[in-house]
Order: sequence, then C-alpha cells, then structure tokens
Amino acid sequence: MSNGPFALWRWARLFNDRGVFAEGLLTTLLVSALALSMALIIGVVLGLCSTSRNRILKTVARVYVEFFQNTPLVIQVFFIYNALPMIGVRWDVFTIGAVGVGVYHGAYVAEVVRAGIHSIPPGQSEASRAQGFTHLQTMWYVVLPQTIQIILPPLTNQAVNLIKNTSVLAIIAGGDLMYRADSWASNGALSYAPAYIVTGLLYFILCFPLATWARRYEERLKSRDIIHEPLEEVVEC
Amino acid sequence: MRKLLAVLCAAAMLTAVSGCAGSSSVTAASIKNAGVLKVGVKEDVPGFGLLNKDTNQYEGLEIELAKLIAKEFTGDDTKVEFTPVTAKTRGPLLDNGDINMVIATFTITEDRKLTYNFSTPYYQDAVGMLVKKDAGINSLADLGGKTIGVAQSATSKDAIQAAADEAGVSISFSEFASYPEIKAALDSGRVDVFSVDGSILGGYVDDTSVILPDRFSPQDYGVATKLDNKDLAQTVDDLINKWLNDGTIAGLVSKYNL
Repeated sequence: MSNGPFALWRWARLFNDRGVFAEGLLTTLLVSALALSMALIIGVVLGLCSTSRNRILKTVARVYVEFFQNTPLVIQVFFIYNALPMIGVRWDVFTIGAVGVGVYHGAYVAEVVRAGIHSIPPGQSEASRAQGFTHLQTMWYVVLPQTIQIILPPLTNQAVNLIKNTSVLAIIAGGDLMYRADSWASNGALSYAPAYIVTGLLYFILCFPLATWARRYEERLKSRDIIHEPLEEVVEC
Repeated sequence: MRKLLAVLCAAAMLTAVSGCAGSSSVTAASIKNAGVLKVGVKEDVPGFGLLNKDTNQYEGLEIELAKLIAKEFTGDDTKVEFTPVTAKTRGPLLDNGDINMVIATFTITEDRKLTYNFSTPYYQDAVGMLVKKDAGINSLADLGGKTIGVAQSATSKDAIQAAADEAGVSISFSEFASYPEIKAALDSGRVDVFSVDGSILGGYVDDTSVILPDRFSPQDYGVATKLDNKDLAQTVDDLINKWLNDGTIAGLVSKYNL
C-alpha cells in the first residue's frame, strides 16, 4: 500500500504543508472566540428577556430563539454570504463566521440561561425584592451569580458545539480549519485521508478538554448537591 | 507534542494496515462475474455527464463511454450502474471500492498519477473563465486584485495562477465544493470570475454572464481506476486507444457538440 490513501509519503507532505493547517486552526480559534463572546452576550440578554414579566420582551426572545434553533446554520450562513450582498450588505467571511455562528448559538445560550434562572428557587427573588431591589438588580446581584455555576457545564457544551459548528465556514470559502483541509486534500496528489484525520484530531484536541472539564465540574456539583432541581434539558444542535 | 505524534503515527499505521486487508483486485473478469460495471460520473456537466431531470437518465460523452466499456466487459451496455460523483467524492469512492472506475471530467496530472491510474486522454479541454457582463473584465490582464471562484479538486486553480503569474497580475482564490455554489458566489459578487474547465462552464452561461475568449493550459480527461487495479487500468486503456483510433470517440465528441 505504498501509494494507498494512507501512504506514509502523504503524511510527510501534510507535515511539510502544516502551515496551511495552522492558519486554518488560527482562523477557527479566532472565529470561535468572537462568536462565543457574542453568543454569551446575546444569550444572557435574551435569557433575562424570556424570564421577565414583560410580554413584548418575552415574545422577542421566544421568536429569536425559535427562529435560530429551527433553521439550519448552513442556510443562515449561505444566506448572509450570497443573498445579503444583493441588497448591499457585504460582510467578509470572517465577520460572517463570527456573527453567523454567534447569533445562532446565542439562541441556545439563551435557553441555557433561561433554564438556569428558573432553577433558582423563587424565594431568592422574593426575598431580594422585599429588600427593595428592582427586577434587574435582583437578577444581577442575586439570581445570576447563583445561576452561573449551575449553567457552566451546559454552557461549556455549547462552546464545544460552537467550535465544531465554525466548520460551516468551509462552504463559503471561509479560510477556517475545515476549509483549509478541504483545499489541501483536493490539490496535488489528492491525499484526502491524512488531511481529514489530522483535521478531525485538531478539532478533538480543541473540544475534548472543554467537554471533559464540563463533565467533571457537573459531577462535582452533583456530589455537593448544589443543584436544587434538575436543569431543563437543552436540545443539542 | 511527542504524545500527539505517537497518536498520529499509530493512526497512520492502523489505517495503513486495515487498508491492506480490505483490498481485493478488480479486473474485467471480476466485473463480468459481478454482472455490472459501476462507474462514477458527473450529473451536472452538459455534454459529458448530465442527469436528465425529465427522463431520469444519464446522458453525455462519458455516459456513452461507460456503456461501451460495460458492453465490452459484460456483453450488455445496460449492465452499468452510475453513481453521481463530485470532484471531492470521486477519489474516496474509487479507493473504498464503491465504484470500479471514474469517468467524470477527471483531469490527468503527474501528481494525481501517484494516487490513481489514468487512461490515455479521451478528451482535451482548456480552463475557461465566466464573468458578469457588467464587470468590465475582458481578458486575463483585467484580473488584477480579483477573486477567482474555483472548484475544489479542480486543476483550474493551478492553471490560472500560472497564467496570472505570467501576465504579472495578482489574484486570490475562493474554493467551493460544487459548481452551483460558485455560480451563486459569482451572482452575489463574492467572486469576480467563475473558472472551471471550459466544457463545464458552458452549462452556466446566462443573460448576465459571458465566457472570456482567454483559455489556459489544456486539460486531459482520463478514465481513472484504483491504483491497485493495474490490469483493469490496462484493459480500459486499450479500449480507449482502440476507440480513439477507430473514430468512435470522435463520433461521440461531434454527437454532443463538444
């Protein structure tokens, strides 16, 4: 099998061209970091909206969450890339990656935050309001701090999914890790096997520590019996 | 880092070993026994391999070639099973044995011969460029700073890069998995030029776009077989040579106006 799909010289060629993969990895990391920040901000704001008593805010949050949870990310990204320029909105692929993936996962983070807020016993907010705190103050100083440790594991899982989902950029020539792998695999001697194995490994190296940390943290939480009632299951994407 | 390398090496060795175990040679005789020739073809390239949506039948030069080969192998030109492939899927499908050969505008290059067997070329085509009529691009010289949309696993990227270097213009590339995606990117202005082999380009011209007269580096299309199957490759090559000499292929070329 000196010339099979897994032949050693193909791995050597990949090693020589490792810069291509490093560039892709860097783009994937940057897009992930920006998208994650965006998803967290959107998620907290919408999570607060959906637990408020204001009808309009609640509806806005609901519509946002349902829209982004129930349409494929691929279509959203393809739409931003190809349809928006026709009405004069032209983002570069990096922005599309950060914003597209960010707003998409914002919907999932919003659901995590909502579930987290609901898991705090109502007595907490009642007591805080009895002390004269406004609704926002109650959330900011009393409820959210208690929520954080409960929602950290599901949030981390969202981060893992977010990193993997940045690979959607490959279809719009986004320069991310997946795109570089596709591009490298389709040039020269068509050495697709090493390309995809190494790319898979790189994603694994990014995601596995996060996922493991989340699992361990959750186990510790359970053993300390901090969770008062089980978190609502958030649908994985 | 050392651990990572160890894991990589282990993966490489494992896959190499499993690759050996699964392979059994495919020959004309084994295809005759199986009673069907499995061919990977394009389904979106008019004149070469096109799935006619009205009749649900494949048609084109490469389809006829596949039928001719099936007739030689099994005595019946209907004993052929078509699998639609893209530039990205045709290699893996050959390697894993799902198809016996690929006849799908597969360009022969020296590098690719390390990976697959190619027959004598049955058709020669040049890389062409499709641009929007109002883009003001008339030739290669106007491409400075432009983005060229190319298909993954197509040789057009290298061809245009070489031509651009020669003309002294700097260009960048965006790669896509399928031709319709490149066309969409051209329409939305994401890329300035849609560049693939000229024959393929013909299927994507519309009222707003035009194919430039410039053409680059002729591309040779060959029938590809898995590298292990040397006998099959030889048989196919003999057939292609025979049909090149007796005018069969020339007849097909003119039949499809290529």
